[in-house]
Order: sequence, then C-alpha cells, then structure tokens
Amino acid sequence: MFTNLTKLDLKDKECMSDAGSPKLCMKALPGEGAERSCAYDGARVVLMPITDVAHLVHGPIACAGNSWDNRGARSSGSQLYRRGLTTDIMENDVIYGGEIKLKKSILEIAARHNPKAIFVYATCVSSLIGDDVEKVCREAEAELTIPVIAVNCPGFLGDKNIGNRIAGEVLYDRVIGTAAGSDEKIPLSINLIGEYNIAGDLWGVLPDLKNLGITLQTAITGDAKFDDLRSAHRASLNVLICSKSLTNLVRKMEIRYGIPFMEGSFYGIHDTSETLIKIAKALGDPDLVERTLVYVQKKEDQTRKTIAGYKKLLENKQAILFTGGVKTWSMVSTLAELGINILAGGTQNSTPEDFQRMKELMDPSAQIIEDTSSAGFLKIIAEKKPDLIVAGGKTKYLAHKTRTPFLDINHGRKLPYAGYQGMITFAETLARTVLSPVWGHLKREFPPREGELDD
Amino acid sequence: MTKLRHYNGNPQKNSPALGATLAFLGVNGLLALLHGSQGCSSFIRLQLSRHYKEPIPLNSTALLEESVIFGGWDHLKKGIAVAADKYKPQIIGVMSSGLTETYGDDMVSALASLRLERPDLEDLPVVLASTPDYIGSMQEGYQRTVEALLMTLAGKTNKTKSLGLADFNDAPSVALLPGCHLTPGDVDELKEIVKSFGYRVITVPDLSISLDGHAELEAAPVVQGGTLIEEFQRLPECKACFSFGLSMEKAGEFLKKTYQIPHFNIPSLTGLTATDTFILTLAKISGKTIPERLLRQRSRLLDTLADYHDQLGGQKIAIALEMDLLYSLGSCLVEVGSEISVALSASQGSGNTLSLPFPVEVGDLEILEERAADCDLIIANSNGRQAAGMLKVPHLRAGLPVFDRAGYPQKRWIGYEGTQQFLFDMLNSLS
Repeated sequence: MFTNLTKLDLKDKECMSDAGSPKLCMKALPGEGAERSCAYDGARVVLMPITDVAHLVHGPIACAGNSWDNRGARSSGSQLYRRGLTTDIMENDVIYGGEIKLKKSILEIAARHNPKAIFVYATCVSSLIGDDVEKVCREAEAELTIPVIAVNCPGFLGDKNIGNRIAGEVLYDRVIGTAAGSDEKIPLSINLIGEYNIAGDLWGVLPDLKNLGITLQTAITGDAKFDDLRSAHRASLNVLICSKSLTNLVRKMEIRYGIPFMEGSFYGIHDTSETLIKIAKALGDPDLVERTLVYVQKKEDQTRKTIAGYKKLLENKQAILFTGGVKTWSMVSTLAELGINILAGGTQNSTPEDFQRMKELMDPSAQIIEDTSSAGFLKIIAEKKPDLIVAGGKTKYLAHKTRTPFLDINHGRKLPYAGYQGMITFAETLARTVLSPVWGHLKREFPPREGELDD
Repeated sequence: MTKLRHYNGNPQKNSPALGATLAFLGVNGLLALLHGSQGCSSFIRLQLSRHYKEPIPLNSTALLEESVIFGGWDHLKKGIAVAADKYKPQIIGVMSSGLTETYGDDMVSALASLRLERPDLEDLPVVLASTPDYIGSMQEGYQRTVEALLMTLAGKTNKTKSLGLADFNDAPSVALLPGCHLTPGDVDELKEIVKSFGYRVITVPDLSISLDGHAELEAAPVVQGGTLIEEFQRLPECKACFSFGLSMEKAGEFLKKTYQIPHFNIPSLTGLTATDTFILTLAKISGKTIPERLLRQRSRLLDTLADYHDQLGGQKIAIALEMDLLYSLGSCLVEVGSEISVALSASQGSGNTLSLPFPVEVGDLEILEERAADCDLIIANSNGRQAAGMLKVPHLRAGLPVFDRAGYPQKRWIGYEGTQQFLFDMLNSLS
C-alpha cells in the first residue's frame, strides 16, 4: 500500500550541507514545536483547488472537520471544492472497518453533488485499520460514470512536502492525459504548476499572459477545472511556480509528454518580468520574446512609478522573513524592491536550492533562522527588534504580542500579491501595516512613569 | 434520530483534541502536547487562532511511519522531555489522537517510565487526557480534559512552593467549571456575578484571562493567564462548586465525591429563567441578598422582552451548534416565543435526557442547508455561511469557529445583561 513512497524519488538530491546550508526539511523532533503539518495536508493543498470535483476525506473528524474551507484558494466557477466532505470515522468503524461506509459515501456524494470526479483521501486512522481505499474507489468507479481517485496520504508519512509529491503522482497517474480527443500541443500554452490562486493571485497574472498572447492551459492547481487538468499534457511548457515538491510531476511530464519545464515566480517586479521573459524564450517564438521585452519594460516602469510613494515611506525599514519554500527567496527580492532590509530569513519547508538562492539575494550579514518553533521566533524578534515581520498566518498573533507590524503572505490572506498589480497591492498593504498608528499606542507606557507626565 | 446518509457534509463538528486544547489553554504556564501526526496540531492551531485571533501554544509528538509500526510510546516520552527542557512550562498537558488511540499507546506507563529515567522531571505535573478523534466532538474532548485536569492537579500540594493561604481565607471561595459553550467574555461576566455575592472564585479552566485577547507584557510560547497551579491545590477548600453546561456535570461530581463539596450543575446561563435559577441558588447558599446591580439588569431585560415581544414571537429559527450551546440559546429563544424549527447538534452530547422544548438531532451543515430554507434565521458557526448564502437566510454566528465576524470571543451572552445582548444581536441579524 505504501510502495508509492519509493517512487517519489525523495532522495534525488546530493547532500547540500557541504555548501553551507542549514539542515532543511529535516524530521520534526517530538515536542520541539516546529511541526510542518502532515502529508494529508500537503496533498489537500495541491488538490483542493480543483473546483468542480468532490474531495472526500476518509478519516475521523480531526482531518476534515478542523480544516475544510480554510484556505484562500479562490474559484471563478464551481464552489463544490469548498464543501467539507468526510466519512467521519467513528469508534464502530475503527472496530469493524470503514470500507462499506466509504463506498456508500462515495455513491451518495456522486448522486447529491454531481461532481466531475471524486478524490478520496486516506488518513492515519483509515490506513491503520487497514481500509483498502484504492479497492473501494475502483469498486465505486465501476458503478459510476466519473473517476473516483484514491489519494494515499496518511499524515504519518511525513510533512507537507511529501503530501505535495503524492498529489503530483496522483495527478500524473490518474488525471493528466486522460482527456478524450486530440493530444496535439496547443501553441504558446503553458501550465502553472504550484499556483493555487490564493486570494486570486492567478487572476493578477492572467491579464499579462493574455496581453502577450500566452494561453494558460491550467494551473496545477488553482481555480482548476477537472477537464482542463485532463488536457494539461497539451501545454507546450510547464512553469513551476511555488512548490519544489511538484518537481517530480514536471519531470515525469517532460519524459512522457515531452513538455519542457522551467522555474519562476510572480512575486515582485523583477521576478515577474524575468519569469515572463523566460517563458517567452522557452516557448521559442522570436516574436513573442520581442513583444515580451517591450511589455515588461512598460509594466515595470508603470508599476515602479505607482509604488514610488510607498517606497519612500518604507525605505530602510528592517524586516524579518519567517516563511517557507519558494516564498523565501521570492519575498527577499520583493522586499528589496521597496528598499526594505532583511535582518533574518526562515527556511521552513525550503529546499537547499531555495536556500542558496535566498542567500545570494540577501545581505551577507543577514541571519538564517534555523529554529522555526515559536520559541525560536520570539528569540529572533527580541534580538533583532525589526520594524516588520513577514510570515504565514500561523505566527501572526504571536507577532502581535511582540507589538511589531506583521504582514501575512500565506494562504490566510485576503489580497492577491502576484504579478505587477499584486506588487502594487503588496506595497499598499505593507505601508498600511508598517505605518499604522496603532503600533505607537501599543508601545506607549500607561500609566506614564512619574515625571513623564509633563513632557 | 434518523441517519440520513453515510458521510458528514460540511461538518459543524470540531475534533475532540481541539476541545482538549481549549481546556488546556485555560491553565497558566501550561504547554499542550498533542500525541499524533504533525497535521493534527497544525489544524488545531490554525482553527483556534482564526477564531480567537491569538497565538495557540500547542506542540506535537510528530509521529511518523515507523511509530505506526512500533508504537508511539518512545515518541511520547521524548516529546514530554523535549517540551519540558526547551519551553520550561509549569505543567504539560498531553492529549491523544485517533492515530495513537487506534494502536493503543499507553500514555500512563510512558510517563512513569520517563520519570524513572529523568528524576529531575518527577515533580513536573503532566496531565494526560484521552481524546480519540473518533469519539464525540469538541465538547467531549474539552469535558474529558477538564476531568483529567481536576483528577491530576486538584488538591495536590507542590513541594517546592508555599501556599500563602493566609490571604486566601478572608473570603469563602467557590469553584466554577465553565463548559466550552462559554466564551472568554462569558466566563469573565460569570466570575463578576459570583464575586458580587461575596465569594472568591477558582475557575477551571479560566479562559477569561488567557484567551481574552490582551496585549500581554511578555510574548511567550506557553499559556499566559488562566487557572494558577496554586488554585488547583486550593480546590478542596471551596465551599461550593458550580458546573456550567450538562457536559461539565461529571467534573463537578468528581469534586463533590472527592472533597465533599456541594455541587450544582447549571445547564444554561442564557435566558431569564436560566439566570433566575442561578442567581437564586447563589443567594441561597451565600445567605446574601441579590445585588442591586443584578436586579437592575433583570428589570432592563424584562423591559426589552416587552418592547420586542412581537418581533421575537413566532420567528422560525434553525440552530446547528455543539450540544450545550444549542441547549442554552435554544431554550432562551423558546422562552421568548420564537420557534426552533431545526435543531442540529454536533454530537450526541452527554446523553442526558433533557426536558428540551424542541427535538434535537445530530447533524451536519449540509442537513441544515436542506432543512432551513423556510427559516427566518440560522444560528451556527461561521462554516454555516455556505448554507446561509445559498438559502439567503440571515446568519447569526455562534459557537466555534467564528472567523468572519469581529469580537465573538469577547461576547457576553450570559446573565441578565448577556441575555439582553443575545436578543439584540439576534434581532439585529433578522433585519
């Protein structure tokens, strides 16, 4: 049942410690407080933004009950993906097994919600009691007219990254390339891999792609429709946006479908332009390259002009970055664009390449945060006393206790930060946070010490 | 109760371990440790912090594949030791998960074995709560954890600290055991009411000073505020014990049996008669007259009932909440003439046969969506927004999580003034 793991080429990287990297993505120690969520969460992050399918979690309430509809991935059409569906395993199911309940649930959901497909997620408890989720899915599929796809992602397999990879495998094995009709490549078309359309990020980039004449086949997955994913093999280029852990997917697509892949980021002016130019070059159309060079220059000038006022307000502020993955280095350049210095950066969920990249972009004196627990977080804030913390929502309220301005750049946020338009939104939001009058009130002592009353 | 379907659609249920975390968050200096996969604790932290807008100190034993084969016993020992060494908490609170309960980790022997290996940790209080994810909801996990807190900590003297009892003896104290249906604001109000009868209070757990959203002086990764460990030691001296919500009855009975303290269970504090019952009990056992302030509040509530009786009467309400909160708000609404058309509880509750004035079923928010179309108001947590939006029925947020309305954790819907506030909030949601 767990043989899938060996196929995930987890050990495809040479040891990077020689290059001076900190220990990255190592196992979390029990009790340490640096948890990175679980494989189920990782698989869910990648697959949930498929909007017109049902996502059924075969587990006790802890897996789906605490997490459904809690990410900011947005949809332009179906809202079915936001529905929390779970078999809600109870004590009797643990004793007698949950396969019958699971099968009935799949059939009921197909009838009630009319989904394009059903993804069924195995969890710790369902795996432990020996429910054969793949078998049940096959049986249910035989009775239905839609695909029923097992996602074998019990949380104990590891952290989020492993779950991301499992989701990539599932898409490769069961979804991509299954469309009826032509397999012919669509000219100037791309897939954006690892773009989840958080807060509508994707929609900030689409106009630029459209203006350049580039077609988005699908984001894998963000605002994604099942049928578009089935035809994802018709794209001419894969662009890996956020998740290194989906590298396995793009590599396999390259081998089977001959789709080349490249990495990119749409956070910040520089990275957005660079990525657009790289896409144009990779698509191999000289006209497009020329168009793109002119276009990005125009957009850069416009955007820089718009944010110049914010830059003046934010220049030379000191920030701490407490983020993970690709966001780490892409955020470094975004903040640099606004003249913000980075005192320290975190590397949760980042790969050695992410780290190396970040190091190149940062000031040599900047520190790398290795302890990503709350204790480590508080220590670095106390030491560095930054003007600003940029991190995911998990640390938001702890940051507020340190009375330091905080900006959430993870899936909990409400505003899109991707692309040129996103950069403007980002600068606006950042200025509003850093310059908010509330921080002054928070730092003022009350009642004032004696003798200070007359000042 | 009919079983409509085999799956749970748009669950209103939270996990028992989330309830356990909540109970642990009301104990000062505590660090909670979830014995399970890393995701279990990540989801709970996220869910609670988007509700309370507070950091949630909760660590995990971070179980991986090998522990599924060999058991998580060693992981638990290591987890407690690492948490103790790194964070120096006064208490560690451990709760189990579906994973560890399924393979049957013996938490008691793990703790005993750790104490043998680490004599320096012998005096560190460790509370073990058994909260398998497949039994009950938030309410059951919270209830089991409060019971575990009392059994482990009540009356135990701490060798290293003097009690300083002298200053404590000048007023009689009572123990308050609030259920998880009460917000930090509710608990704060409750303490004020009891204090106005001349009592000192010991509240277990005390969310009113830990999760009340205050800008603490020191940001720290353990619980700040909440019940002091010394207060647990003083519980046997209490003159009376009140438990709030049916789920808390067993915890109150434990104190009664162990320390012969008179125990009163108050199922609800919302509504006129519910508050009357509580206030009269307080007046009786304290031998004091009812404070003028409370009588004034009662009089204002009566006037509100008269002024709005027409708008309150005959409203068709659909409620989906955890059992104790459903009972509190539902009985208050029936009392003012509204009609409970749909009542769905997250779990079976304590199983106590209530003389409820309306039938209750266990159900999810998909059932709510199917049944509430003709209702005037939906009362449910924020996840009820999909049903309310689809049906275009107004939605009053209650329960947990409430993440799309400001200030819910500070709301007071108990006592005379709180009942009045609840009715105002309900009336304002209708229009």
